[in-house]
Order: sequence, then C-alpha cells, then structure tokens
Amino acid sequence: MWKVTIKGLLAHKGRMVLTAVAVLLGVAFMSGVQVLGDTLNQTFNSLFADINKGTDGYVRREATVEVFGQKVRGRVDESLLPIVRQVDGVAEAQGNVQGYASVIGSNGKPINDGQGSPNMGMAWDPSPTLSPWRLTEGRAPAQAGEIVIDKRSADVGKLTLGTKATVLTKDAPGQFTIVGIARFGTADSPAGASVAIFTLPEAQRLVAQPGQLDGIAVVAGPGVSQEQVTANIAKALPAGTEALTGKALTKENQSDIQKSLAFFNTFLLVFAAIALFVGSFIIYNTFSIIVAQRGKEMALLRAIGASRGQVLRSILLEAAVVGLIAGAVGLVTGIALSIGLKSALSAFGIDLPSGSIVVTSGTVITSFVVGVGITLASAFFPARKASRVPPVAAMRDVAVDSSGTSRVRLVIGVVVAVLGAAALVGGLSRGEISYVGLGVLLTFVGLAVLGPLIARPLSKLIGRPVARLRGVTGQLARNNAARNPKRTASTASALMIGLGLVAFIVIFGASAKASVGQIVDENFKGDFVVRASSGGGPPGQGGVSPKLTAQLNQTPEVEVATGIRFNFMKVDGGATQVLGVDPVTVTPLFDIGIVGGKVSDLDTEQIAVSKQRMEDKGWKLGDTVPVEFADTGAKTFTIAAVYTADQLAGPYVIGHAAYDANFADVYDFQVYVARKAGGSDADAKAAITKVVSAYPGAQVEDRAEFKQAQADQINQFLGLITVMLAFAVIISFFGIWNTLALSIIERKRELGVLRAVGMTRAQVRASIRWESVIIALQGTALGLVVGVFFSWAVVRALKSQGFTVYSLPLVQLLFIAVFAALAAVAMSVFPARRAARQDVLLAIATE
Amino acid sequence: MSSASSTPLLPPPPAAAAAAGATVATKVYGSGENEVRALDGVTVSFAARAFTAIMGPSGSGKSTLMHCVAGLDHLTSGEVFIGDTVLSTLNDKQLTTLRRDSVGFIFQAFNLVPTLNAEENILLPVALAGRKPDQAWVDHVIDTVGLRSRLHHRPSELSGGQQQRVAVARALASRPTIIFADEPTGNLDSKSGADILSFMRHAVRELDQTIVMVTHDPMAASYSDRVVFLADGRIDGEMADPTADRVLSRLRRLEA
Repeated sequence: MWKVTIKGLLAHKGRMVLTAVAVLLGVAFMSGVQVLGDTLNQTFNSLFADINKGTDGYVRREATVEVFGQKVRGRVDESLLPIVRQVDGVAEAQGNVQGYASVIGSNGKPINDGQGSPNMGMAWDPSPTLSPWRLTEGRAPAQAGEIVIDKRSADVGKLTLGTKATVLTKDAPGQFTIVGIARFGTADSPAGASVAIFTLPEAQRLVAQPGQLDGIAVVAGPGVSQEQVTANIAKALPAGTEALTGKALTKENQSDIQKSLAFFNTFLLVFAAIALFVGSFIIYNTFSIIVAQRGKEMALLRAIGASRGQVLRSILLEAAVVGLIAGAVGLVTGIALSIGLKSALSAFGIDLPSGSIVVTSGTVITSFVVGVGITLASAFFPARKASRVPPVAAMRDVAVDSSGTSRVRLVIGVVVAVLGAAALVGGLSRGEISYVGLGVLLTFVGLAVLGPLIARPLSKLIGRPVARLRGVTGQLARNNAARNPKRTASTASALMIGLGLVAFIVIFGASAKASVGQIVDENFKGDFVVRASSGGGPPGQGGVSPKLTAQLNQTPEVEVATGIRFNFMKVDGGATQVLGVDPVTVTPLFDIGIVGGKVSDLDTEQIAVSKQRMEDKGWKLGDTVPVEFADTGAKTFTIAAVYTADQLAGPYVIGHAAYDANFADVYDFQVYVARKAGGSDADAKAAITKVVSAYPGAQVEDRAEFKQAQADQINQFLGLITVMLAFAVIISFFGIWNTLALSIIERKRELGVLRAVGMTRAQVRASIRWESVIIALQGTALGLVVGVFFSWAVVRALKSQGFTVYSLPLVQLLFIAVFAALAAVAMSVFPARRAARQDVLLAIATE
Repeated sequence: MSSASSTPLLPPPPAAAAAAGATVATKVYGSGENEVRALDGVTVSFAARAFTAIMGPSGSGKSTLMHCVAGLDHLTSGEVFIGDTVLSTLNDKQLTTLRRDSVGFIFQAFNLVPTLNAEENILLPVALAGRKPDQAWVDHVIDTVGLRSRLHHRPSELSGGQQQRVAVARALASRPTIIFADEPTGNLDSKSGADILSFMRHAVRELDQTIVMVTHDPMAASYSDRVVFLADGRIDGEMADPTADRVLSRLRRLEA
C-alpha cells in the first residue's frame, strides 16, 4: 500500500501543492506569531535582567487598584529615603520617579506622536550601579531647566547637545537645555520610548508629585544577600509599603511584560486559528473530490484484496505527507514572517533591542502537529468514505455525486447553528468571551453543515442573472455550480468565514462611527475639541496640562472651555474607569441627561453615577458608596447626581476637586470649547489654535473634524483586523481555484463534447469564470448574512458602552461582493485556461 | 463479392455534389521507428443528402478519418473540406464555429451534457451560436425522434436509447451541412439501436440531411446508402446499397 500511496501522491503533485498551500499559510501565520512572541519575550527578559542588574532591593507602595491585570500603585514619601539608607546592610539607595513627559523634536512635533511607544519623563539616578542610563555625550542634569534625553530622541528629533528643547508635562510647556544624551544599556532608548531625564526635584514637580517617589532602589553592602537586605528594610517600613528583592522585581517586570505580550500573541493566534479553520475546509473538500474521482481505483484495490483499513490508511498516509510538507514549509515561512513582523514593528517606532530570532522546539513541534493534525482530521471523513466503497464498484461506473439533502443533516445543521447563535448572544450579554468564541465557531460549523442543502438553490438563484445575461455559457456555469452541492458548499463555506468576519468588522466599524457621531451631535453643545496627542503611557497618564484649559477660559473668543480627565479607581470593590469633570464648566458644554441631583456642586467626596449602574447596584440618590484610589486609599463618597448618558460619561463621574485630591497625576485628555456668540467660527478657531500651539501634539478640531478624527481612529483599528483576516480570505480563494481545478479534471469528457459541438475556447473560459464567480458570491452572501448577525449581536450587547446606532454600510458591503467576484475571476484563470485547452479527441474517445 | 466493391476509387469527383471529403489525407502519429500512419493518402468524398458508412477493422483509421473531416483533429498532410470550406485554412476559433454551425455529432457514449436537460442539450449548438432556434424545425425533429414527453428530463433520468435520440436531435437541430456519427449504436441494445438507425435514415431520406457514420457493425451499415471500406489507413473499396450479409462477407475478406 505504501507504493500505491506514494505513486498516488506523485501522480497528483499539482493538486497536492494547492492543498498544502491551504494548510501552509495557516501554519506559517501561527509559527510566525509564536516565533515573534518568543523572540520578544527573550528580548524583554534580558532587557529587564539588565536594567535591574544592580538592584538588590526595591521599596514601593502596596498595590490596591488593578486595571486590566496591571497593578496601579501610589507613591511613597521621600522621607522614607533616609530611613532606608540607614537600614543595616544598605550600601546605597536612590529614589525613582517616572511619568509623562513629551520631548518636542526640532520639527515642532512630539518624538512619538499618536500610537506607538510612550513618551516618558524621569529623574536622573546618580548611581551607576542602579541606573541603566549611560551618557554618550555631555553630563547629568544638575539644576532646574536641564535635561538629558535618550539617544533615539536626539537622533529622531534632530536635537543636539547644548540646545534648548520644548518638553510637555502636566505643567505649562517648558524650555529645557539638553546637557546630556544617554543610551539605555546597549539600546538607544527603552523600546522606542522618548525619555526626558530631569533632576529629581524637577521630575517630582513636572511628572509626579513634589516630595513623593515611585519607589526606592537599593544596593546591598558587600556580603549582604538580596533576601537579607530586603528583610532588614521591611522591618523599617511603615504600613502600606513593601520591599522586594531585585530578583523578584526582575521576575515581576518580566511576567508583566509576558502577560501583555501573551495578550498580543493570543490576539494574533486567534487569526491564525481562523486561517487554519478555513484551510481545513479546503483540505476536506480536496480529499472528498480526490476520493470520489478515484472511487474506481479504490474499489479495484478492494477487489484485488486490500482491506478497508489498508485503503483508509493509504489515504490518511497521503494526507499525513501533505500535512508534513505543509508543516515544514509553513514553519520556515513563519520564521521569515516573524522577521518581517519585527521590522514592521520598528517601522511603527517600537524599536526592539536587537536580539536573534528565537525558534523554540515548542514552535517546531506545534507547526508539525498542527500541520499534520489539521490535514489528517480534515481528510479523515473523506478517507473513511473511500474505504467503504464496495469492491463491486470497480465493475461499474461510480456515481460521483451523492446529494447532501438528508434530513439528519438539516436537523444537525440547524441545531448547531442555533446553539451557536444562542451561545454568541448569551456570551455577549454576560461578557463571557469564551462563550462568544464558541458561539462564533458553532454558528460557522452549523452553517457549513447546512451548506450542501442550500448550495443548489442558492447557486441557482445567484446564477439566474448570469444565465439570463450570458446565455448558455452562463447557464452552464450556473448548473455546474449547482451540480455538486457538497463541493460548492465547502468551497463557499471557507469563503463565508473569512468574508463573514470582514463584513462583521465593516458593519461594526460603521456602527461605531455612526454612534460616535450621534453622541457628539446629541450631547456635545460646544464648537471645538482640543485633543491631546496620545502619550501612550499608563492609564490616566498623559494628555495636556490643565493649564491649557485655564488659558483657553481667559481667551476673549472663548465662552467656556472644560477639561475632561480620565482614570481608574475602585468603586464598591470593583476597579472601574472614572471621568473627572469641572462641575461648573462642563454643564454648558455637555448634556449627560441628569435625572436626579446636580452635577454643578460635586465636591471632594461626591460622585455622580449612571442610572444604569444605580439600578444594577440598587443605589439611591444620597447613598454612600465605598471607593478606593491607588494614591490616597479608601474613602466614602456620596451619590450626588444620577445621569442617563452612560454611553458618553461611563458609569462614574467625579468633580475636579475630588479628582485632583485623589489622583497624583492630573492631565486633561480632551478639552471641549464653546466660542462666544457673534464673531466667526474661523476667528474663534484661529484664536484657540494660537493658544494651543504652545502645546505641540494637541490639535484643535471643530465638530466635523472631531467626528472624522474619531472615525479615523476606528478605521485604523479596523484596518489592522482586516489585514489579520486577509490570511483566511486568501486561503479561501485558493480553495476556489483548487475546487475548479479538480472539477475540471472530472469534466474532461463533457468539456470535450462542448468543444466538439461548437463551444469556443473563449466560451469555455467564460463559463468556468462565471462558475467561479457564482461560488464566490455564494460564500459572500452567506458571509454577509453572518456578518450582519454577528455585528447586530455585538452592537446590541455594547449599547450601554455607547453603541447606540446600528449602521449597515451598504456601499462597503457591496464593495466586498465586487471584490469577491473579481478575486474569483482571478482564481479561475488557470483552471479556465486548462479547461479551454482540453483536447477534444481525448475527451470523446470511447476507450 | 460484387465487382463494384473492389473497384479502386478514382480521383475525387467534382465537389459540387459532395457535402464533405478528403484529398490525399495523411495522418502520422509519432516519428522514426514509432511512426504510425493512421491515414495514408485517403481521398474520399461524402455526397450531400446521402447516408454514408465508413467501415474497417480496428486500427484501419476510420475514426481518425472521421475526426479529421469533422474538424476535431488535424491532418499531417492533404486536405479536408466541408461544403466549400477547406479546413486547413481555419484557426481554432473558425474551426469551432464551423463545427457549431455546419457539423452535427452523434457519439457512441451519447455524450450529453449532464447538467442540461434534454431540450437544452438539443438546442446547445444553436444556443452557443447565440441564435434563435428554428422552432418549427426543432419541433419537427423532436416529434420525429419521439422525445416530446421527455424534454425536461436530465440525461441521468433517460434510458440509453432515449439519450441517443437526444443526441440525434441535437445533431439535427442546427440543420448542419453534415452529421458525423461515431458508432452511434455501440452502447445500445439491438432494439434501441435499430430505432436510432431508422431515425438517421429517415433524416437523410425525408429531411434531406447528410450523415457519415463510422461503424464496425454490418447490421448498422446496412441502413446506409453507401459503405466506404478502410484498411491500414487506405481506402479499400466501397459498396452501394449494402445489406448486412454482403457487408459481413466483404469484411471477412478484408480481415483475411
């Protein structure tokens, strides 16, 4: 049987290549993500080990608030520093301060503008043992007004030693003399961040809090172990602070970055899994067709004495070989892909310390296991079917098509699809992401099971205009698309998955944009928005200095300006986002639908809560709720107002008084402005822009521009996801090529007859082309149905998050269909050419 | 047996009365030691409005002759013509159009298009040409072969005899200059085969069609007006108004 298998494989090299491509692309995607993840992990591990090399112990506040798995810590008082220095075994101790500061390049723009690496400010650490910074030029900052910047910022921003640079902080924009340029260990900057390094007191004032430190790094004396010095320090610490060893700190840093990398990796792996899932349809289809075409050969083998098991094994062996090749080539392609991804990241400004690509044995093993596993699993059912061909079939013509119209199929398909839809909707409303994933998967599987039942009528329906317009050529295309419902269905199903997800993203994005627009229209009563360049720092950090809002309020053209702050806190034991508003200036600019109490007098111990949250929690106006801040600890707040516009304001709003009293770092992330009545928009905008120009990176937008900017951000995200889905879509289009190529082999005789009775080559090609288009449009139609359903379910579930509008972007959806049709035409080129070249005589030969 | 049967064919008669024919047609497969001369200087003409049978043992070149005259295959040298058209002057597209408009085919294996129903198969050549069928003629053909009640059936729902009747109707539908039939009864039982042959003879005698049929069955040949014998790629005589017995004994002599 070995010989038969190998011969079979060699005889069908072409189709095996196409089949392998279907798995290969998925495996490449997967292994590429794994290699990238491992490489980044190792890079960061050694980076942190390097940074903390000289640190034997670390003192900091205990964490109380956790946001997205990241602990948010308050600061420690600098009076702790001399205490720590006195502790037995401590050779040296230095305070750390780090926060948001944005260095402006010589072109007047922030070094890192928009998304990407953060802009940071910190204090110069004079200890060469503790600090990873190494000066390449100049000296350390010695007094206020002096900074050291990282070498990357100097290079990118064309900033030179001795010149002055603008730095944005929570204070008004300032001019600083660059007295030094430094490298971070062996890198020009920590992962592409721009860094301004001040003297400790100035760093405290500009990026943190006067008199406060983020933490204290400690070097142990000779012969004192990390554990010992840490234990000694712990005894001297007040309640609410903690000490840990340098090793533990490194481990913690590493595991934190691993967590966020793992999130990123999982995100990418989901798309790799989608690509593999789509690929499995192609393999299933290919083996089904091959087995059907070779039914007679199988029967002959059985007739001359091969057992069922032997036939089954021979086909599975064939699948294993295909899977093995796909796994191997996929792995190599994946490694190349990861190198490409890494350079793509640095093109985005995320500069990674150089490090060699890490290919673990895990990656190699999973590539092969997944490559072979998926191929075997997909080929199993076709193989089993082949093994059941009775030996007598060798003596008669094997019927190719077994129609897929069984009642069992209908019942199973409907049950699975309904279960999937229910899991999806249920999972969304309960916020259970795993149910959502399962629901999506089951919906696709259910529809794929139902596929053969609907493929015939759907092909007929889609093909109707083709048949009408293109005459007999179109009619043949339509009939051919409908003749093997199973084959057409699995080809179309593969496409349904990729395009369904793309359609979902498109509709979701359109709804998001429409919802944002509606919120702006309905709730925002001002004229302009000042948007800070996103600093990319930790939550709550970055934005523009509150000083800008004050300046705007003094501008004659401005009626009122209000700054909105954004951070995280604990309310009633749960971590949540919170907005900080100025009670006086916010009211004329925003209508958040107050239904009880007043916002205008929110004081330092009051909170406004959304009506939805009030109902969920069973609170009443005037109730007190326990809250907790990372910086100031537990408090008790009184509910002073209730509002309905939670899609705008989220569940909780506090006044600036409470915000500034409890958050150490105060920035406005957006400033909303209403101009004075009279005068023109243009004049007002010019006046505002003049004030804002002192804060590079901040942008003045009118209502339309603001809406557009929000839409652009959404589009950018959607674009990224669409690119990720491209793999799955490409694979599914290969599936069309594959199916057509295999079908044409089967139709040799028929094509010969058509050519004999007068079909021109052009007509043959047109017919195949239209068949391809009909199959593709079928997948597209199913995909659009799925996309509409998914997006409806998600938008509905996110209603309270601000998704108030469900919008169907018909033009874009039509574009998907047109794209699918054109891609289908491209995929049909080679099969059609082959069909047109079919030798007429060979086809009609009787023997 | 008959003296006429052994008379060598004279140089081609003026083409006026011929629907199709070949002049010194030669077809060579392979080269060197593997060279096979399937046709070796065949000159023959097929009269219009006549039913001609081509007979000969296996490998005599009868199918090759038919394929070349029908424009399905190319000669190595020599000429074939259909009506006034010399086929070697045509490119693939012109040949295809010629087949579509001027030639009908009936194959041994029926060779209907499985995805089209009987009526669509019958009208296929007309539809490929993008023309409207001559409905009166098509109706007449359909009634003649007795398919009226089966028009909307797929080939898989028809018996072999019915399928071949569809094929005959398809060949007739566009009123071609000439119809080629390749062992049309080879896959049929004798009753269905006789029916088909009767239709074909009817088409020639009553409907003024021209049919050339390749067969090795003397019984089938007896329906024709004239039998042309082929051996080793050469014309080996002919017979007018054949009967099954005369053809059989002529064949025996040929094979001896």
